[in-house]
Amino acid sequence: MWSRLSFVGRRAWNNLRELFWTHFLAAIAMTMTLFVFGAFILLQENLQNLLKGWGDQIQINAYLDKSAGVAEVQNLLNRIRSLPEVQQVRFISSAQAWNEFQAALGAQSGILEGLPKDVLPSSFEIAIKPSFRDSPMVEDLASRLKKERGIALVEYPQEWVDRLSLVVLAVQWAKWILGGALFLVTFFIVGSTIKLAILARKDEIEMMQLFGASEEMIQAPFVIEGVTQGIVGGLLSILCLWFLFQSLRDVIPSGVGLVGPLTHFEFLDLRSAGLILVIGLTLGAAGSLFSLKRFIKTWRG
Amino acid sequence: MIEFFHVYKKYPPNLPALTDISLQIQQGEFVFVTGPSGAGKTTLLKLLFRGEEPSEGKILLNGQNVNRLNSRGVARLRRGIGLVFQEFKLLPRLTALENVALAAEVIGTPKRESYIRAYHLLRELGLQEKCDAKPLALSGGEQQRVAIARALVNNPLLILADEPTGNLDAQVSDETMRLFLKIREHGTTIMIASHDIALIQRYGTRVISLQGGYLAADLQRVKKQESER
Repeated sequence: MWSRLSFVGRRAWNNLRELFWTHFLAAIAMTMTLFVFGAFILLQENLQNLLKGWGDQIQINAYLDKSAGVAEVQNLLNRIRSLPEVQQVRFISSAQAWNEFQAALGAQSGILEGLPKDVLPSSFEIAIKPSFRDSPMVEDLASRLKKERGIALVEYPQEWVDRLSLVVLAVQWAKWILGGALFLVTFFIVGSTIKLAILARKDEIEMMQLFGASEEMIQAPFVIEGVTQGIVGGLLSILCLWFLFQSLRDVIPSGVGLVGPLTHFEFLDLRSAGLILVIGLTLGAAGSLFSLKRFIKTWRG
Repeated sequence: MIEFFHVYKKYPPNLPALTDISLQIQQGEFVFVTGPSGAGKTTLLKLLFRGEEPSEGKILLNGQNVNRLNSRGVARLRRGIGLVFQEFKLLPRLTALENVALAAEVIGTPKRESYIRAYHLLRELGLQEKCDAKPLALSGGEQQRVAIARALVNNPLLILADEPTGNLDAQVSDETMRLFLKIREHGTTIMIASHDIALIQRYGTRVISLQGGYLAADLQRVKKQESER
């Protein structure tokens, strides 16, 4: 058994070495495909995290009239606290809102220069109890709050959540449609490189068949070549995604005022990275087997 | 050891290559298959290692029906057969030693053992100095001896040689034939397809003659037959 494995391994290694550039280019094609696919996964995962974050801390922002006095605000706060749906209410003064917005914009906070510091209204951040977080209940609460004196505007992220859910769904579909088309192209590219490897070894394969080598002994090295392309392509694509992720993370601001702070961005988890590797490996193996079936003449039993 | 029962072989569209061949060959025989070009000599040999399948009839090799083997069975069958070709079919990228060892390695013989066996065979055939030479650096006779060593490396019970002296001069052809006779002393059955009458007269103990795909003659001793004419 060991001698067979060693023979297959040596042949695969020799083939990879001798057709290095062909295999390398196929691995690069694989890298590009898996990179695009991985980028969609990355986008989808982060959007889903964002959605989950919003869902966990669903809240209503009630912006106050600038004319509302301290007593009126306190009165309003007590009334809102007493509502059965409300878990917690946080009062954010105009100055506090300004500071938080400035902090969220980070390096880009310069755009606020010249604006009066009381431009943002005071508000209540109203956290809702988990059992009341259904869309109609939130809507109902928001409409009741709108009717309260002293409240100028009520916003809640539910419609953003709904819109973002649609975007996530679109990304998910795009991932598989575009990914599927690229997988098909890559499958044929891998198949072509293995075809070249088979043609380069045509005489050797014929002699091996005549000596009595089993089909597995003949075909296994080519499958290993395809799988190697897949694994190398998978690893390179994850590496490229990591660099893309690092560079984008520093550019995108970590929060926007309207919907509250975004959850921090996360790189692919182990499951997704594993999926990319498994797809690479499968594409490599399938491309090789496809070419082997087409280009190696075998005897019929 | 080898039995043909009413074997026919036709190539598409309907060209007969062999017609109603029935014969038996015992273990250890030294057999020439002869006839003009296109007589069916190569086809007859190919049928034995399943390089071709018969259109009709049955071929038994050591009691095993060759036509009924699946791909694994064909691989096992071929492990017991050593093949020698007119054009040697050595792999030009490999050295003489590697060419011989490859035949053993592909059937699962450990690398070290394959190379030891290959080296001993090349030494026996007087090629120990040429182990590291690539085929193109060898003479025709040397290449054929490497090919014979390769055919022997798995200790086959049967050697099939298709025009093994076709590309060799008379002296080297004689040496090659003597080599086959020596191999036969170990009990190996040898079938040689050749149309070299001089060689057949000198070395043939049994001659199967094909004409247009038909079995024209099956003679046990050519020299004796020829002298009687």
